[in-house]
Amino acid sequence: MIEVQNISKSFNGVEVLHNISAVFESGKTNLIIGQSGSGKTVLMKSIIALHRVDSGQILYDGRNVPDMRRKELKKLRREIGMLFQGSALFDSLTVGENVMYPLEMFSGKEKDEIIERAKFCLERVELTRAFDLYPSEISGGMQKRAAIARAIALNPKYLFCDEPNSGLDPKTSLVIDQLISEITREFNITTIVNTHDMNSVMEIGENIVFIYKGNKAWQGSKEQIYDADCQELNDFVFASDLFKKVKAVCK
Amino acid sequence: MKFIQLVGKYGYLIYKTFAKPDSWRMFFRQYIREMEKQGIGSLAITIIISIFIGSAITMQMVLNTDSPLLPKYVTGLTTRETILLEFSSTILCLILAGKVGSNIASEIGTMRITEQIDAMDIMGVNSANYLILPRITAFVTVVPFLVMFSMFFGILGGYLVASMTGIIAVDDYVYGIQYTFKPFYIVYSLVKSVIFAYIISSVSAFYGYYVKGGALEVGKASTDAVVKSSILVLLFNVILTDLLLM
Ligand SMILES: Nc1ncnc2c1ncn2[C@@H]1O[C@H](COP(=O)(O)OP(=O)(O)OP(=O)(O)O)[C@@H](O)[C@H]1O
Ligand SMILES: [Mg+2]
Repeated sequence: MIEVQNISKSFNGVEVLHNISAVFESGKTNLIIGQSGSGKTVLMKSIIALHRVDSGQILYDGRNVPDMRRKELKKLRREIGMLFQGSALFDSLTVGENVMYPLEMFSGKEKDEIIERAKFCLERVELTRAFDLYPSEISGGMQKRAAIARAIALNPKYLFCDEPNSGLDPKTSLVIDQLISEITREFNITTIVNTHDMNSVMEIGENIVFIYKGNKAWQGSKEQIYDADCQELNDFVFASDLFKKVKAVCK
Repeated sequence: MKFIQLVGKYGYLIYKTFAKPDSWRMFFRQYIREMEKQGIGSLAITIIISIFIGSAITMQMVLNTDSPLLPKYVTGLTTRETILLEFSSTILCLILAGKVGSNIASEIGTMRITEQIDAMDIMGVNSANYLILPRITAFVTVVPFLVMFSMFFGILGGYLVASMTGIIAVDDYVYGIQYTFKPFYIVYSLVKSVIFAYIISSVSAFYGYYVKGGALEVGKASTDAVVKSSILVLLFNVILTDLLLM
């Protein structure tokens, strides 16, 4: 479980996050949604301490990130997997080597075991064939899956995904979303996903945090989202015509 | 003020770089890869340039020392001194700054803008250490060898001029290049080249590591890397010459 308490963050005097508190539960797919520029990426990067917050607490099962010294932070990070918006695979390494990378760095295991584990992770995302290919030789959707395999290689307790389906077609998006949600449940991970895609929200959103201009405007489940008493959220959700129709049908 | 900031930032990066690697196995793998790329990859250009410059220097020396007052060995002697003292260390390193420096800056810069460095940091990898240390150590290892190759082929260039054009007798040239030979000049050159290698690789890595933005900035960073490291090489050339030779 990750608990965020009253965090604020500004860049050069401009406040991007304002006093945000939220709880992200383990074994669940937690979503951060909001318009472009609302501060989703900054919030996520603050939680994993790529940005230092100005104030507030970030608790990973009780361990407060802003209090941590460099060594402790490094230790915590080995429990974190992250899927970046642009996949961020190492392009000088093959897909297999990418997945083996965190294992070779930290697991201290023998080569055979590492290859075994990498193959298992790639199999989990149905990418065994791509083991010896370079990232530039596979499609965008496959890159995302390879990045997921790398993120779960070290059995993380926490998984972060920044817009996992940006730039993907609806069907591939669905595959990626389902993969993330299945892995979350299978390995009881605390997963946080940034998205502005309403399809994924309705597909995998178990606990949804809505950010509006740097403030938390709403938190709830996908069942509650249509009846939310929050004008900004309604504007966001029903910006798409499709969802207006869905609502009409539901009523 | 800005300069002090820059130096501080560089110092911090170097502090992060020179730490114990997270995994020695990965370090050695990268180290070997980089030595191959920077060393073997620069061998051809080193040999070609050295032969041509060696020949050109010899021809110019023949012209400039063409006087009945000067003994015949002067051409070989001055060619040797120019190559050993200045060309094979400083000029060669400037050329390598263009080749290896821009390569280091653009490789690391591209990794920065595509979030690959963030990905390493998130995993808990010391990204500066993983990316920069093997590049610096590999370059510092290979450059002295490149310099020795350059010395040999530079002097060979002069020999080729002597034997092919006949503007100077081969015997005079061979006598000249051995006349009052001071082995310390080779040591001086190698010491300089090691320091230049460190400057080029660390400064280029610095410019690459702190890129912000997109492809445009990566291009700018690699230009900056070459320009700034070349200026530093020239500056340290003067300082080291004063310290080691004067
Ligand atoms: N490093 C930074 N320095 C200064 N300002 C920043 C920085 N990173 C983000 N911002 C600002 O913070 C605000 C929120 O940005 P953020 O990237 O979090 O948006 P987002 O919600 O992720 O948008 P998108 O959906 O488009 O990715 C923006 O106004 C942006 O300009
Ligand atoms: Mg974003």
